[in-house]
Amino acid sequence: MKRAHGFYSVPYVLWLALFVIAPLVLIVYQSFFNISGQFTFDNYKLYLSSGTYLRMTLNSVWYALLITALTLLISYPTAYWLSQTKHKQLWLLLIILPTWINLLLKAYAFIGIFSQGGSVNRFLQFFGFGAHQLLFTNTSFILVAAYIEIPFMILPIFNAIDELKPSLLNASKDLGATNWQTFSKVVFPLTLDGVKAGVQAVFIPSLSLFMLTRLIGGNKVITLGTAIEEHFLVTQNWGMGSTIGVVLIIAMIAIMFLTGERKKRGR
Amino acid sequence: MAEPIITFQHVYKRYDDTVALGDIDFELEQGKFYTLLGPSGCGKTTILRILAGFTEASEGKVTFKGQQINRVPANQRQINTVFQDYALFPHLNVFDNVAFGLTLKRTPKKDIKRRVLEALKSVRLAGYEDREISELSGGQQQRVAIARAIVNEPQVLLLDEPLSALDAKLRTAMQVELRQLQRRLGITFLFVTHDQGEALAMSDEIFVMSDGKILQQGSPVDIYDEPINHFVADFIGESNIVKGRMVADYQVQFVGKQFECSDAGIPAHEPIEVVLRPEDLVLTDVAKGKLTVVVDTQVFRGNLYEILSHDADGNQWLIHAVHKAKVGQEVGIYFEPEDIHVMRFGESEEEFDARLEQYEGDD
Amino acid sequence: MKRFRWQNIYLALVFLVLYIPIFYLIFYSFSQGHNMNHFSGFTWAHYQELFQDQRMIEIVLDTLLVALLSSLLATIIGLLGALVIHRVKKPMWKNTLLSLNNILMVSPDVIIGASFLIFFTFLGFKLGFGSVLLSHIAFSIPIVVLMVLPKLNEMNTSLVDAARDLGATQPQVFSRVVLPYIAPGIFAGFFMAFTYSLDDFAVTFFVTGNGFETLAVEIYARARQGISLEINALSALMFLFSLVLVAGYYVLNQYNSSKKGRKRRMEANHNR
Ligand SMILES: Nc1ncnc2c1ncn2[C@@H]1O[C@H](COP(=O)(O)OP(=O)(O)O)[C@@H](O)[C@H]1O
Ligand SMILES: [Mg+2]
Repeated sequence: MKRAHGFYSVPYVLWLALFVIAPLVLIVYQSFFNISGQFTFDNYKLYLSSGTYLRMTLNSVWYALLITALTLLISYPTAYWLSQTKHKQLWLLLIILPTWINLLLKAYAFIGIFSQGGSVNRFLQFFGFGAHQLLFTNTSFILVAAYIEIPFMILPIFNAIDELKPSLLNASKDLGATNWQTFSKVVFPLTLDGVKAGVQAVFIPSLSLFMLTRLIGGNKVITLGTAIEEHFLVTQNWGMGSTIGVVLIIAMIAIMFLTGERKKRGR
Repeated sequence: MAEPIITFQHVYKRYDDTVALGDIDFELEQGKFYTLLGPSGCGKTTILRILAGFTEASEGKVTFKGQQINRVPANQRQINTVFQDYALFPHLNVFDNVAFGLTLKRTPKKDIKRRVLEALKSVRLAGYEDREISELSGGQQQRVAIARAIVNEPQVLLLDEPLSALDAKLRTAMQVELRQLQRRLGITFLFVTHDQGEALAMSDEIFVMSDGKILQQGSPVDIYDEPINHFVADFIGESNIVKGRMVADYQVQFVGKQFECSDAGIPAHEPIEVVLRPEDLVLTDVAKGKLTVVVDTQVFRGNLYEILSHDADGNQWLIHAVHKAKVGQEVGIYFEPEDIHVMRFGESEEEFDARLEQYEGDD
Repeated sequence: MKRFRWQNIYLALVFLVLYIPIFYLIFYSFSQGHNMNHFSGFTWAHYQELFQDQRMIEIVLDTLLVALLSSLLATIIGLLGALVIHRVKKPMWKNTLLSLNNILMVSPDVIIGASFLIFFTFLGFKLGFGSVLLSHIAFSIPIVVLMVLPKLNEMNTSLVDAARDLGATQPQVFSRVVLPYIAPGIFAGFFMAFTYSLDDFAVTFFVTGNGFETLAVEIYARARQGISLEINALSALMFLFSLVLVAGYYVLNQYNSSKKGRKRRMEANHNR
């Protein structure tokens, strides 16, 4: 029994060691080497002392916050009202369906939609606003990122709302709460875990969507993800790229800690 | 006496920090209906699991037909189990569930079919073989679980609270059916329940358990009439238990009065407890009664009145009466000397049996 | 009643926003022009172009091959992983394993891509089909584990006991009771792994090197050069493909859960 146990766990344990632990260790390790392969703390020194890197990081976090807030604002009511529809599972499937279209195709669609002669501009012109440079702006990056992330925010919130027992809502009303009080005192607190899961699912990718910044945001290095891609695949400075990677990992852990903390206490 | 089919010899079972079973010792004879009775958490399931081979005893010996089976794996024991939650395989239909064990033994197809249909018939489910498990009611699932076990022709059938999920009426019907089935098959049943009524109704022998120990073993009548201690008396049926003192053989004193009784062999002046069953108490006039009580509440139960009363010392008395009384009324209670059952503190089952034998021999 | 209408309008708007870009793409795939600004007459030309694009067809086949192989292998390893985690009883060890399992689920794609790139380079592993396949297997394993594990947890231990009680050996218990029981989870895991692989761009972009390309990488390269309606045609086909996949999955799922559905209905009736 013991031997059989050991035997079948080999592939999974190997995967854990080679593809989970080793790469993490390696990226930290790499962050201590400069472009010519010497051990150094310079990457971290540069990162912490140069305004560009810090500003870029703050920018990235700020954009991710905006994207997350925007998606949440759109998604919560959607999830809430979706859960009250008749064929909610079917509607939910329709919400999820766009995530099946490759992200790059969606980004590509927006290149057309936002372009100078594209439909949004024609729409604006029709109302007398005149054409605007939409593509390759930070705004377009935020809008497209939010568009892509919406389903990932709706899904956990929908699930949380769907799990609510109807008797709780009835109890709340029975005890004299208005619709709004029921929502703010019962529904929202009980679906907070879904919101947190959604924030987690949106915020972290928003820090790292480098292809969107390349295609939509005008090729500027405005997120941590773009910076990493730039260092690894363009300037070949893996050490600095890894340093930014470590920063991103720390940001990720911080976010998971912030959004996960309560859940653990609740359990 | 025939050789026992199963024995437990000083069996202990310990989990990290709990002792689930402490020194369990018993023998089961071929073809009898045994019941393990005790409150939830007392170790009943643990005994079944050790017997079925799902877990091993920490200490002690378990034998089957004289052979030690402590380390025999579950799939090689001639013992089958009916699980509390039935544990029917949801991906198989009724026929395939019942045929599961036979298929594993590579029984010829024709035999499987015959035996499965026979087993289903014996649990009155003929014609259900193509149903999905999810299409059955709780009672039907329970019968499938029984059929699935008995089709393998085990020597011993273990049943872990198999009736607890059924409603009261179905439960009573199944009690009768199970008892009949056991007689028909002639194999040993070890039945687990926490319901004393069920245990009394079905068993040849009952083991009353508490806290990982067997407190008393005996026929339903023995256990009901002569509970060994306060716990058993209280657990088996309703009873009035009061503290008292032995005066001499066949003389006992409680609630400040002396009564004739049928117990002996206890030193004079020893503090004891006295059990009086509510159905043995008869309501009469104050003058004719041995005790005088005041009626507090009265509930009509269909076949009797359940009367709660108290005496001058504040002891509560539960009476099952045929006729009504009036709340607040003062009434007399009459009982026969044989209705008094005396229990000593801390008497073990062996001491208890020895004492009974001794003075019953006196008669 | 009036409020209800507002909700529906809101939902309709959200659905519109979600689907307009997709239909926008598909719409222009039939346009005779060369950009997505003006629809200038219907044509199949871009589809013909696509089907004659030898390189594109090769890339599509490669992408499907990677997706199929990686999801199959990830399903096997993930299933074993779920069994390992399920076996572990000590809560501390179980949580540690689960946390490690989920690292790749929550890590941003760039981190996975960059760290795998370092890993392959460190080992001297040649970038290309092999590195892409290994990466896809690696990032698909955790989702398979997460799909299978709840099924294992949900399975009553008394089912296993019952099988042993009826004479099943350890392998028989696994093949005749456990596997059929968790099959829907395995199936869902495989499906998720397949879509993860098809969907991935960032990780592949990092570890693909020069010789090998998947569809996502190719689309990125072409999109950076501007608009080509051949890509629109491709999106239309991929959308159709997704629809078929989703529908197939949905139907199979319905079929799988129909037994359970019936049971739930029975229970509901019973409780009434
Ligand atoms: N796997 C286990 N680990 C730890 N303690 C257990 C385990 N199984 C049973 N116990 C403990 O053993 C005692 C007896 O349990 P059990 O035999 O299931 O009782 P019963 O069936 O009479 O309700 C209980 O206190 C229970 O908590
Ligand atoms: Mg039990």
